[in-house]
Amino acid sequence: MTAMGVDHATALRSWSARAPAPPATGDLPPAELVRHFHPDHQADHQSELRVGACAGMRCPSGLADLLQANAHIDDVDLAGIRNLHADVLVLGGGAAGVVAALTAARDGAAVMLATKLRLGDGNTVMAEGGIQAAVGADDSLQQHFDDTLAGGHATADPELVAALVSDGPAAIRWLMAEGMAFDQQNDQGDGASTLRRLRPGGTTVARLLSYRDFTGLEMMRALREAVLLQPGVEVRERYAALELLTDPHGRCVGAVLLDLERERLVQVRAGAVILATGGAGRTHLGGNATSNHYGATADGLVLAYRVGACLREIDSFQYHPTGLAWPRHLRGLLITEAVRALGARLVNGDGARFIDELAPRDVVAAAILREIDAGRGVERDGLTGVLLDTPTLERERPGVLQNHLITLVRLARKAGIDPASEPLLIAPTLHYQNGGVAVDTNGQSSIPGLLCAGEIAGGIHGRNRLMGNALLETVVYGRRAGKAAVTTMRNPSGRAVGITHLGDWQRGLIHAGLPLDRRAPVLFPAYGHADIERRIHARRKSAL
Amino acid sequence: MKVLTHTSARTPDLAAWLAAGGGEGLQHALTETAAIIPALADAGLRGMGGAGFPAATKWQAVADADADEKWILCNGNEDEPGTFKDHFLLTQTPHQVIEGALIAALATGATGIVVYANPHAGGTISGLEDAVEQWRRHPLFDRVRAHLDQPFELTVQLSSGLYVGGEETGAIAAVNGGFPFPREKPPWPAQDGIHGQPTLVNNVETLALATHVLRHGADWFRQLGNTAPGTKLFSLSGDILRPGLHELPMGTSLRALIEDHGGGMLAGTPFKAVFTGGPSNTLLTASDLDVALDFDSLRARGSRLGTGAMIVVGAGTSIVRKTAEYVTFFADSSCGQCPPCKIGTHQVARILQRIDQGWGQPDDLEALDNLVELLLGSGRCGLVDGAATVLASSLRAFRTEYEQAIGNANRLP
Repeated sequence: MTAMGVDHATALRSWSARAPAPPATGDLPPAELVRHFHPDHQADHQSELRVGACAGMRCPSGLADLLQANAHIDDVDLAGIRNLHADVLVLGGGAAGVVAALTAARDGAAVMLATKLRLGDGNTVMAEGGIQAAVGADDSLQQHFDDTLAGGHATADPELVAALVSDGPAAIRWLMAEGMAFDQQNDQGDGASTLRRLRPGGTTVARLLSYRDFTGLEMMRALREAVLLQPGVEVRERYAALELLTDPHGRCVGAVLLDLERERLVQVRAGAVILATGGAGRTHLGGNATSNHYGATADGLVLAYRVGACLREIDSFQYHPTGLAWPRHLRGLLITEAVRALGARLVNGDGARFIDELAPRDVVAAAILREIDAGRGVERDGLTGVLLDTPTLERERPGVLQNHLITLVRLARKAGIDPASEPLLIAPTLHYQNGGVAVDTNGQSSIPGLLCAGEIAGGIHGRNRLMGNALLETVVYGRRAGKAAVTTMRNPSGRAVGITHLGDWQRGLIHAGLPLDRRAPVLFPAYGHADIERRIHARRKSAL
Repeated sequence: MKVLTHTSARTPDLAAWLAAGGGEGLQHALTETAAIIPALADAGLRGMGGAGFPAATKWQAVADADADEKWILCNGNEDEPGTFKDHFLLTQTPHQVIEGALIAALATGATGIVVYANPHAGGTISGLEDAVEQWRRHPLFDRVRAHLDQPFELTVQLSSGLYVGGEETGAIAAVNGGFPFPREKPPWPAQDGIHGQPTLVNNVETLALATHVLRHGADWFRQLGNTAPGTKLFSLSGDILRPGLHELPMGTSLRALIEDHGGGMLAGTPFKAVFTGGPSNTLLTASDLDVALDFDSLRARGSRLGTGAMIVVGAGTSIVRKTAEYVTFFADSSCGQCPPCKIGTHQVARILQRIDQGWGQPDDLEALDNLVELLLGSGRCGLVDGAATVLASSLRAFRTEYEQAIGNANRLP
């Protein structure tokens, strides 16, 4: 966002003179907005994959570099390392991973859940808005299905969407049974309360269930307790996955993990592997700010692609319309969509509204970028965005900030702003990987023994995701993948379990003229200075 | 010079093969039957299944045998890691193999040919049956039968796919309808083979080459090679840029095979070793790079050409892991007749896996050294020798890798 905009002080004067601003007229159809202004459609940041199962597919250049990288380790690194065994190995400690682990363990499998950070330390806890499920009397599975498909511009796989929405009500019941709380409302006057429902952006009915504005955190709280108390699940924190293990038939039979604490490799042989490693925001594709958690570095995508898994829609990312644009040190952090669901407006530097705030995310994000491009953004300390009109919202619904937007208030306070009196400066932020590994309705990838759940899976949202469908996806596909892993797992006692897939992979890189010294997965953003290479090879060097 | 892999040989269609000059060798054999074995002797053709035994000697022994029934066993059972030449010959070029077997039948006066093929090699069987059927219906086949002047049959038989079924006595046992148990030799197959009758067991590559020797003559064949006659199919795999089947002059250097034909080491990693043809032989290491790849030169270096499989290992690949993998293959493939092989290979595999998987004990190396001594020469067939040889040579050439793996071992429970 380098384009110049309206000076912040001037913009505030225009805003207060016009508030509450009248609705926007919408001079460009949504599809045109997206095509001209959405980052997915900026061809200069995209490149074509030249190796692997999806050679020819386009994706952001930064992601292509990772997908077409060499492995960190060689076969020789596996000699003499510790071997561990599990029926099901789950990689990733967010909601999808934990749900999958719980499900597999309850179906009788010995489960190992490995995460490079700590359990629950992921994007799940940052999900503020809520979770969609068609539980209302005025709602139906069909409406949820239609909304999801339309929100994704009809590019999602209808079968995957059908599975997602059909399991929705059961997923909510399951979460309640795990001890998760939801906001209730008592509007029938008969003393009985029902689940409070909000209308998320891009939908036809109020379908969003939430808990304050930290729904994901509440969900993870319940899941974390459940998994720690679940017999049959061994949680290994600070174990990062470096490579998947394969057998001569191409089946995935485990993974090589780096124990970050002890700086040593272990290999886990497993009957099935579930990838639940989330998305790619922290690779800052296209140089964008991100709302994502520190660990979202596309690790699972890289590992799956290297063993030959098919991907889909990896050129499609969701930019959340309302990331904080100022101050610099908080740039990219998320302002929940619930604020718009509750009625907050977006205004440009002239104090005017320019888009229906409840349009799908890609449309709203594109509209904001259009304002900024056209010089109608608001500029403060060299950072440009548009204004989120929280003061008017508070005036119209007194107490809404304190009661429903706790995280927003806290974030505003960190920025030195009182959201009840001053609008926040916001801009789109890299938020969600719409595509991912191609899966079926069980989360099964194209590689036997390799399943996916959560953000890493593609096809469920198409080219755009609706608010509240991500949390639902983690639960629905976590449960489906966990169950399917148990029914499809095989004893991985082949004679040649290893990383021999790397030979063909490296041949492919050489023939395509790609460098061999670029390594992935990166595990942490570059500014984390995690020094992965040294940690991997610490023991190899000390032994020589 | 491509002979076996020449495009004219790569056809499922007998008419196409004959139109491209196939059948000439068989014509020569029909007109001058007595000259067949001398031609092989002059050509210096050796057995390509791994032993490198002179083909003419073997053929002569069967030709000289006095029996009413004699057999040609065309051995295409290959199952060992890293070898894929027979699969190519049987699926891509069946007619030069069958023609070679017919020539062998003429030379030895055989009453039958059994094409013995591994069913695990995908696609082998239907194409092979079809190729055999084309021969059976062809006038050339009638001429062979007329020339032999006795009942004569040409059949395809599926092997069990087991590794021991490739050993010549194991193959005979399988064709006779039993489990492919190898047995002691002598009696040699030339004395006591299929149905107890004299039998010529040849690898499919040997028979295919015989076709070309008969067609072009011994001098032509001798000139194909560098340090020894003919060409050889090399199954190149491992940490190499262009793995695959390479037909090269016999005696091509290991360096030329890797660098000129294999495209060099994968990802520029330094060369470490080659597991040759089995992988049941002494490892070739950096000091062997300029050795000529032929039977005698490698034997002089204490190794063997074997089947021509060359599994190249670079610095990024663990010798311990590879050796564990191959010994485990031998252990799984042991038929269990000979106690040292049945128990010993598993014991070695267990220790190697233990070292590889981080549970190696300090005295494991000594145990392995002792097992090598115990196991060499302790079986009826060469299986246990293969396991012991590859183990011994990896222990000798790469002992520090073993020591490191054991040193890195995790001793906590």
